[in-house]
Amino acid sequence: MSGAAPEGPVLSVDHLSVVSRDSKKKILNDISLDFPPRSLTAVVGPSGCGKTTFVRTLNRMTELTHSLRVSGAVRYLGQDIYQSNVNPVLVRRRIGMVFQRPTVFPMSVFENAAFGLRILHESDAEIDRAVTEALVRAGLWDEVKTDLNGSALALSGGQQQRLCIARALAVKPRVLLLDEPTSALDPAATQRIEQTMLRLKEDVVLVLVTHNVSQAARVSDRVAFLHSGRLVEVGSTADMLERPKDPLTEQFITGRFG
Amino acid sequence: MQVLGRIVPWIPALIPAALVAAVIWELLLSSGLSLRFYPWPPVFHPPQSFGWEFFGSRWNPAQNQWGIMVFIVGSFLTAVPALFLSLFIGLGIAIASTAYLPKVMTQFLDPFVDLLAGIPSVVYGIWAFIVVAPYFGHVVNPWVYDHFSVIPGFGGTPPSELGTGLPIGIFVLTIMALPITTLLIRDALQSLPKDLWESGLALGATRWEVMRRVAIPHSTRGILSAALLGFGRAFSETVALAMVLNIQSGYPVNFYHGTATLATWMFTNLDSAYGNSSWLAALSEMALVLLAISLTVNLLGRRLVSSFIAYEIAGL
Amino acid sequence: MATSTPTGSVLPRDEVLFDRSLRTRWRLGFDRWIGWLLPLLFLVAIVPIVDLVYFVVRAAYPVLSWGNLTNTQPYANQNGNAVGLALIGTFDLMAIATAVAVLLGLFGGIATAEFLSERSAGWVRTSVNMLAGTPSVVVGYFGYFAFVLYFGWGLSLIAGALTLSFFMVPYIFRTVDLAYTSIPRPIREAALGSGARPYQYILKVGTPIAFPQVLTGVFLAMAIGLGETAPIVLTTLPSLLVPSSLNSGVTFLTYLIYDGFNHPSTGPGSNELAKAFEAAFLVMMIVIALNVVVRVFAARYKKRLEGLYQ
Repeated sequence: MSGAAPEGPVLSVDHLSVVSRDSKKKILNDISLDFPPRSLTAVVGPSGCGKTTFVRTLNRMTELTHSLRVSGAVRYLGQDIYQSNVNPVLVRRRIGMVFQRPTVFPMSVFENAAFGLRILHESDAEIDRAVTEALVRAGLWDEVKTDLNGSALALSGGQQQRLCIARALAVKPRVLLLDEPTSALDPAATQRIEQTMLRLKEDVVLVLVTHNVSQAARVSDRVAFLHSGRLVEVGSTADMLERPKDPLTEQFITGRFG
Repeated sequence: MQVLGRIVPWIPALIPAALVAAVIWELLLSSGLSLRFYPWPPVFHPPQSFGWEFFGSRWNPAQNQWGIMVFIVGSFLTAVPALFLSLFIGLGIAIASTAYLPKVMTQFLDPFVDLLAGIPSVVYGIWAFIVVAPYFGHVVNPWVYDHFSVIPGFGGTPPSELGTGLPIGIFVLTIMALPITTLLIRDALQSLPKDLWESGLALGATRWEVMRRVAIPHSTRGILSAALLGFGRAFSETVALAMVLNIQSGYPVNFYHGTATLATWMFTNLDSAYGNSSWLAALSEMALVLLAISLTVNLLGRRLVSSFIAYEIAGL
Repeated sequence: MATSTPTGSVLPRDEVLFDRSLRTRWRLGFDRWIGWLLPLLFLVAIVPIVDLVYFVVRAAYPVLSWGNLTNTQPYANQNGNAVGLALIGTFDLMAIATAVAVLLGLFGGIATAEFLSERSAGWVRTSVNMLAGTPSVVVGYFGYFAFVLYFGWGLSLIAGALTLSFFMVPYIFRTVDLAYTSIPRPIREAALGSGARPYQYILKVGTPIAFPQVLTGVFLAMAIGLGETAPIVLTTLPSLLVPSSLNSGVTFLTYLIYDGFNHPSTGPGSNELAKAFEAAFLVMMIVIALNVVVRVFAARYKKRLEGLYQ
């Protein structure tokens, strides 16, 4: 990793609100939350609570949906990513993202993993090194090392998703946002991705969106519970799941809605 | 009864094939080729079959010379540059519309391209001949002549003031092929799943980088089909081109000169051919050449596109 | 290399979000500039279409009058700009051609969609594409050799109309095929499962569902046919009279436009040229109107289909 990690949160969200321009509906309402180094925060909540919108504001993916207006601040190492002189392209290089469904590009495994580096015109040696490292970190190396030039579309769903993680890791982001990365996968593939997440949180700040409380219990250090656009409660995983303070949280984790 | 039930539906289903077969059949009969392949008498009795001389460069009815190479060259000379222009412009428009312009703008701008597809070719022709040709004659051609006459083919005889000839022919074909190339490429680019587009951006790529490295490679088939079908349109265009090309039966002496394509020559020559069976036979054989080339290009191009987009483009 | 941030701490260079390196500036700048330049290419489409419509409307406006539209004697008016004859001629041609094409396309399309195996239907669809891909001048030649010379009908209304129908068949065929093929499977199976004969299913169930789309196909084909010039010029004879029989000559709108090109020497404002633009205006209006109808219908039909599939 480049440079020493500064003290304090890597990412901090400060009074963040998102309003839909069309319906004037508040999708996110005044959220403040910090993401410290070496943490895996699970964002949980019933469907439609705004958790996907929330992670998408963290690397300015919300801008692709023109109808959303974001207010408040999201600070990456103290720099507000919504400041007018910050380009989203640079934000997204530092804050990577993995989506619900595997989104491999129609090219070889190697080229997929190398995508983010190719556009930066890194040298071939550097790309080789970084791709190998990323594939190892994503736990995919052993399965694809013999056939790096095979099509990525030939991989299984779980492998494709780990390739997407490797692709995001190859540009060495400090934060990785995972938007329900296992919702399209079978239990075995889910387990492998969860192992990968546990390994990754040692050096990357992970933000995991999930609707699955038991997954949050298995992998996360902290849980943030969102409900109708509000941050209801946040705390360590053990506290949240065993001693929730808010009745809404309790209802959710005991499976009474969601 | 069972057998009948299976045969009867074939009768209407084979109508299009029968119509195509009828066209080919009739042209074979009326051209010199029929003498070689079929024993029965053609509509007209051509005095000879043309053989390989048919692909020669001399077309002179008075001396019984029927070489169509001039027109084949003319067809490519107009269709190929027009195709390249409209392919690149179409690619640019499609990229702008898919990746750069907000939806409000594309909703307003895209219909102009659709509208371009709906204008009949003869209307393009009269507009180009009356409105655009003088502009080519007084402005474009003299300017090109003044600045580029050192390039072979761009010097020599000065362009006429009338403005008809190759340049305006290429211009008209470019505009006419533009909706086909644009709509097919746009459709292909838009078929890139939204997830893939977003995950490209999420890796810190710019819109252009995702376009160039993911969307365009993903759309190769669509772009290829746009090239083939756009070429097919340009290659077989008749009336509009006949009105602006300043039809001549020889090779063009330079860029500004008139020429003729297979289709325009066939269209403007049928009147004069009446009563001269060799002439008619030569024209029919030309029709077969044109048909062979455009069918090949069209069928190849169509294999590559979904049927629905073809349904949305009028005239494809 | 390090830059200080608003909070005063010092960050390694690649953590800074306002990167000023040459490489980054080039990447972002290129993306921004191309985002401005590419939309300008829309002008290549917009300028010609606006200029064309503007010019045609401006040239047609002075001569456009009810009298000119309805008068069928081309040289009766003082200014000789009557297009009534061509309107009737176009109507006659279109009526015959549409009738023939609908007959052929409808039966063919239904047979292909309902009775043929997927494999056979694929071959039939290829033949439809071949017909649609046949250059117009080649079909014109066919009409000339077959209808005009071989059948001995001469340059006539019927020869022109039948030639014209060649262009319309593929579009009608295709939309009919598409309309019946896209009727949801459960509806079909329910009808046939409850004991309906195939023809009963087609008449009672399929046709009401497919009808709007079939109609769009017919309109689309009419728009195509209306704009065709070369094949009809080759197979008909312009006439100064309203066609009285199938063998009469016929004057039609696109012929007037082509004729304006043949007599341009008299200069703008001449009768032929004014008439050409008048005809161009009419053709454009009808074609655009048909296209609008097609689009509205198609959009509606799409919605209905989506509803059916849910």
